[in-house]
Amino acid sequence: MIPAPRRSAPPTPRADDTVRDEEVRAGRDDRPARTTRPLVRRFDALPYVLVAPVTLFIVGLAIVPALFTIVESFFTVNELDPPTRFSGVSNFVELFRNHAVTNSAANTVLYVVVGVTLSTVLGIAMAVLLQHPFRGRGVVIAILILPWALPGVVEGILWSGIFDPNAGLINSLIATLHLGAGDGVLLGHNRLLTVGLIGVVQVWQMTPLSTLLIFAALQLIPGELYEAAVVDGANQWRRFTSITLPLARPGIAVAMVQALIATLNVFDQPYVLNGAASTGSSVTMETYFVSFQNLNFGQGYALSLLVALVTVALSLLVVRFVYRKVEL
Amino acid sequence: MITRRSRATWQGAVGLAAVALLVTACSNGSGGTAATGASAATSGVTINVALPADPPPQAALDQFTKDTGIKVTWSNSDWDSLQTKISAAATAKTYFADVTNVDWSRAGQLGKLGWFLPLETYLDANALKSDMPQLGSFTLDGHVIGVPYDSSYMVTTVNTDLFAKAGITTMPTTMDDYTNDLKQIKDKGVVQYPLNIPFAAAEGLSTYWYETTQAFGGTILDAKGKPQFTDPGSAGYKAAQWMVDAVKNGLVPPGNINVNDSQGEQTLMAQGQAASTLSDYSGLINSLYNVKDSSTVSGQIQYLPTPGVTGPASNLSNPDGMGIPKQAKYPQAAAKFIDWFNSAATQEDFAGLNGPDKIWGSSFIPSRLSVVEKLAQAGSLADGAHLAAMLKTAKPVFPEGAPTWYPTFSNAVYTNLHAAATGSMSVADAIKAIGDVATQQAGNS
Repeated sequence: MIPAPRRSAPPTPRADDTVRDEEVRAGRDDRPARTTRPLVRRFDALPYVLVAPVTLFIVGLAIVPALFTIVESFFTVNELDPPTRFSGVSNFVELFRNHAVTNSAANTVLYVVVGVTLSTVLGIAMAVLLQHPFRGRGVVIAILILPWALPGVVEGILWSGIFDPNAGLINSLIATLHLGAGDGVLLGHNRLLTVGLIGVVQVWQMTPLSTLLIFAALQLIPGELYEAAVVDGANQWRRFTSITLPLARPGIAVAMVQALIATLNVFDQPYVLNGAASTGSSVTMETYFVSFQNLNFGQGYALSLLVALVTVALSLLVVRFVYRKVEL
Repeated sequence: MITRRSRATWQGAVGLAAVALLVTACSNGSGGTAATGASAATSGVTINVALPADPPPQAALDQFTKDTGIKVTWSNSDWDSLQTKISAAATAKTYFADVTNVDWSRAGQLGKLGWFLPLETYLDANALKSDMPQLGSFTLDGHVIGVPYDSSYMVTTVNTDLFAKAGITTMPTTMDDYTNDLKQIKDKGVVQYPLNIPFAAAEGLSTYWYETTQAFGGTILDAKGKPQFTDPGSAGYKAAQWMVDAVKNGLVPPGNINVNDSQGEQTLMAQGQAASTLSDYSGLINSLYNVKDSSTVSGQIQYLPTPGVTGPASNLSNPDGMGIPKQAKYPQAAAKFIDWFNSAATQEDFAGLNGPDKIWGSSFIPSRLSVVEKLAQAGSLADGAHLAAMLKTAKPVFPEGAPTWYPTFSNAVYTNLHAAATGSMSVADAIKAIGDVATQQAGNS
């Protein structure tokens, strides 16, 4: 029978403690049985010293800026319209009235749907392919990680050569194979096509990390489970749906969250591949334009805060519905 | 264990932090003069220079150090990220560089914000003005906030071979002639798409529209920032219509809706796929079209005074400048550097008049008219006579200085013109949207 993953499990005694207790009871261990001693906790500074640098790092570079962003988003902070002054929720209201922002929000939703779905599905597929050892697997994994290691701008430039409407690889191939004139427009004309193609570039970048995260989860699944399933007559699909997928859920959840964060904050690829055009602009691009082009930092803070809140909310949803604690 | 006292201490600390945040949030971001910690030292110091360009030859910098005692650390950042760094550092009132980029398009914004020091207090602005026609683009309310180190301006480039193949031997001087010549090149099958317009939603598209508007004999904004292009009979409207019609009528490759200016130059003009660019960058014949490694049209491209309504129009100046941020550590030393870098002698070196080892690769056209004329006389500048003549009549897009809200306006220009080219909105709607942004921003300022 194939065990289903448990949501939680009672605390398990440490194996060595259990063995020793049994041996004491059986008289094979001469050491005195353990006695309960009063807990006298001595202050140990070492853990705090070890944690201090990263705590400072997180507080300085994450907590303080986050608090600062929250506070400033309720102020008018515009270098061209001083002084800084409290303005309540007007920054948020203005953002919802800004067509460029709402349009980019719609694009970002599409980026999230395309990016998270494709990178997760492909990540699972590639992880399953890599699950069983084969000659050269290490090399394949090393090559697989390359797109993830490349900066987004570099990827954008690389793919702009592929998508270039006049001299790009795709249009040249179409012309060479006499499938068309080779002057078809790939990016910019149609919103769905533009977002879809830019989404593909992002998926190309994100999938390696998703694969590795899911692959790591798959590595923890004992082979005995698959052997037992085979004995029980489960076919490959059944083994995948009943063993692989449920037990890989922690890895899948982490992969989905990282894909979610990456797609909600996408900037480099649409900016390099499609400029500021409304067909592909993202919320993060609008944050940049509002903050550093218009110098309206108050609205920039507000938009950043909204993106952060949406990111947290969606991540919690993923954790709630996808993540399951697995104990093997 | 957390005692009541320590809990109170924590609560106090958190409260103080919150108050500190609030106070910081409410603090005024405006400011005026040079940084209080700035040093007047002009020797034995190191200045940071951050520009969107490669450094000049090390020997030149070494000579400057030897002559002045000022060491130079050069940082090359791309234009966009440099603008972000300038804004971020100025807003945070932190030191970023002693000398950095001042682009003509941001001169109005930077001037109002007071982020750069007035250079007339450090340099002889009148002497510079007499030899630098584009200094006006960096002058606001009598204050010079930048000195142009490159006198880029927009010119029309034509592939004379392709024009000749279509039977055109006399170059056009009016927009009507120019349009008819392009149609003739297409009709005769010389090239499928004779005209290059970079319709990607980026700054290059705005610049192209400004130059085309100038070709149709008009301006973009008046002195108060009021749009001058909303009437269908206005030059700006006609320019937008002409550009969009060029795509619809097959003069421009359909794929150009996602091609930026440099892509168009490299993949269309330099490869002989397009016969002309109405708004091209001065100096590209030297730096791209005549470079055989990256061009198949070496010797075929010629500069053309931009065609106008009844004869050649004036050209649009598009210079890059350098200035001293208010938070500079060594403003006096920075001023010495700017003075040296833009002196006639240094520009002659950088332009290659005194040997190839002194050339600065990032220098397209020197900003000093006297140096451009010397280059033209020496035959060191391809089509130099044309260039020198056009530099004399080059005009800024905004004679009164770029408005403070220029970046917002430019964003509206290139996103809406791009949308019109893709057919997702009409020219009328695009012009209306651009005009609305200008009217709203001018009203707010």
